[in-house]
Amino acid sequence: MSLDELLSRNPALWRGCDMAGQGDYGQPTGYPALDDILPGRGWPRNAMVEIISPHWGMGELQLLVPLMRTVVAEGKWILWISPPYLLYAPALVQAGINTDQVLVIRLDTACRDALWSMEKALQTESCGLVLAWQRWLPPRVMRRLQLAAKAGQTLGVLFQHNISKHSHSSLTLKIKGSFTVAPHNQTNCTARAGTIASEITVIKARGNFRPLSTRLNLHQHSLQPQG
Amino acid sequence: MEEPKNTVQLPLPSVTAISRGKVISLPVKAGNPPPAATGGRRKPQKRHLWYALYFPQLSKLSDAQQEKYLKELAALAYDFSASVSFHSLSLVLEIRSSLRYFGGIDAVHNKLKPLVAEQLHSWQLPGNFLYAASPTVTGSLLLARGGHNKLVYQKSNLRSALGSLPTEVLELNREQDRRLHNMGVRYLRDIWRLPDDGLRKRFGSDFINRLNRALGKTPEPLRYYQPPPSFNSCYELPCEVEDLGLLLPVVDEIIAQLGDFLRHRDLSTSQLLLSLVHEQQSDTEIKLGLRQPSRSREHLMLLLETHLGSLTIPAPVIAIKVEVKKFDAFMGHSNELPVKGKAPSTYQQSNKLNQFMEQLQARLGEHRVKNINSVAEHCPEYASIQSDYKEQPKNKPSPEEIASNPRPFWLLTTPRQLAIRNGGLYHHHCIVILSGPERIETRWWSGTDVRRDYYVAREENGSCLWIYREKTGKRHWYLHGIFA
Repeated sequence: MSLDELLSRNPALWRGCDMAGQGDYGQPTGYPALDDILPGRGWPRNAMVEIISPHWGMGELQLLVPLMRTVVAEGKWILWISPPYLLYAPALVQAGINTDQVLVIRLDTACRDALWSMEKALQTESCGLVLAWQRWLPPRVMRRLQLAAKAGQTLGVLFQHNISKHSHSSLTLKIKGSFTVAPHNQTNCTARAGTIASEITVIKARGNFRPLSTRLNLHQHSLQPQG
Repeated sequence: MEEPKNTVQLPLPSVTAISRGKVISLPVKAGNPPPAATGGRRKPQKRHLWYALYFPQLSKLSDAQQEKYLKELAALAYDFSASVSFHSLSLVLEIRSSLRYFGGIDAVHNKLKPLVAEQLHSWQLPGNFLYAASPTVTGSLLLARGGHNKLVYQKSNLRSALGSLPTEVLELNREQDRRLHNMGVRYLRDIWRLPDDGLRKRFGSDFINRLNRALGKTPEPLRYYQPPPSFNSCYELPCEVEDLGLLLPVVDEIIAQLGDFLRHRDLSTSQLLLSLVHEQQSDTEIKLGLRQPSRSREHLMLLLETHLGSLTIPAPVIAIKVEVKKFDAFMGHSNELPVKGKAPSTYQQSNKLNQFMEQLQARLGEHRVKNINSVAEHCPEYASIQSDYKEQPKNKPSPEEIASNPRPFWLLTTPRQLAIRNGGLYHHHCIVILSGPERIETRWWSGTDVRRDYYVAREENGSCLWIYREKTGKRHWYLHGIFA
């Protein structure tokens, strides 16, 4: 086995240089431009990811839709822990996600119980993806979640509004989405829904040395009439 | 009841030596007398008195109904004797061992009679029944069927007691009846006079065996009534306990007992009730429902621990009770050999998920874990429902029934009214409409007329919103969903 092969397969081995877009141990995100700036060319398989969105509605779920489809196709479950609004089933069906394999834990659940369920869900192999909406979490809790995700081979995603002041070294991946209106498509923005671009910045990733960003059109399909 | 004339105890008939196969002698423990001391003969059998209850009124019912009713009657009779056996239209109780406690067979009969009569009345059946007691099961049954309500204490008196019964009590088939009749046999005593060999030839060995059993010459195998299992354990704590963590070892001990109880009966449970008893307060009850029956101590403890962890008690606990509400047959499963690269079977997968869901519901409560489903409905608020987690969702609309226009991931529980500033829509920032309108007019039949024009819009900060304008009333603008 050549060195390159080893490096590309094993996430525990990496060169002391930038790994962005190298290797193939990640799960494809469905957005080639995003794959290019992620180590392993995709989402990590058993880790915690933090997605920072200054406000909801930036396409933060669209970022995960291709992954959700894969998870459901594998027969695993998606657990939504205390989402900020009502999860709307027709949107899931439109996105091609089977609602039979979706579970929601209500918003009025106590934070302690929500975190407990998150840890349990991450440890359970029947859950393929755990999405949680929580405010700032202490590093100790984050570390626990990270270990649980590793034990259950599950990807956990935390949605937050702000970058927390304390940088948690335990997180594998931190992604920030922001809305930008690039000069060249500003004129189109108001005219057509298909050209809203979001700037996705990988703030921190294991294997990446510097923050990288790319511009994605997240709402390309979701805002178009189906069929 | 007719009292026996001869109350002198006669010596028991010696058991005829049965030719046996090879006898393997077990190592004799020190202190035990060697087997030779008994002379190789069987120990004298314990003397029994069988009390037969015959219910001719059940004969009109179907077999299944008969069995059901006999079972319920057996449950009543179980209070009087530990061995109750089933026979056609009748029950037989071993009563000798209970005589001293109840004070004689008449006392037993007087206590049992109203109970049985009441039970029979509740099924709209006549409350009377026939009964007899004798040292053999078949003998008691025959006597009861003969309707003499006799009591025979001694085996040696059986022959004469049975002799006065007509041959009809044997319930033979028509051919055998006819033959007996032709032979001039009217009563059992006529049969006693005939030679065994000849009878065996003419009527078969079943006939002879039955008579021999009635006379106590051959042993009678029985099927005893087994009361349904019940587990009800109570532990009184030595002192009042407020910390629920301290209760765990006690609960663990009870659950271990329960595990043994279930294992001995090859059962498992799917519904448990754990009650924490307080002084002068009603009990705190934890109802444990399992998705799959189990008897594993670890599994049950894990769930109970989760329940106890999220419990607040109104007062200190003085006792713990555990009751099994539902028993299930134990379903074992065989493990698979772990093969590298092979996914675990669906059984294991679903089992893991079930255990996870049980834990989740135990900790958060049944109503916090939701399934979501889409409904074929035009009005956006009603097109998605959240229901408590269950096995199989139903009435799923086909994909064609789902709206083809864009729908947001997030829906606001109540639409939020949008302000208008400088002639433009405003939420947190200015709003620009991207596409629309999509008109939805529905629910005019329900009294709340829904007539709205939906638009996809973008806020200045980048959020994609789903907004609508009312077509009636004040024509306000509302925010209804967020495309996340």
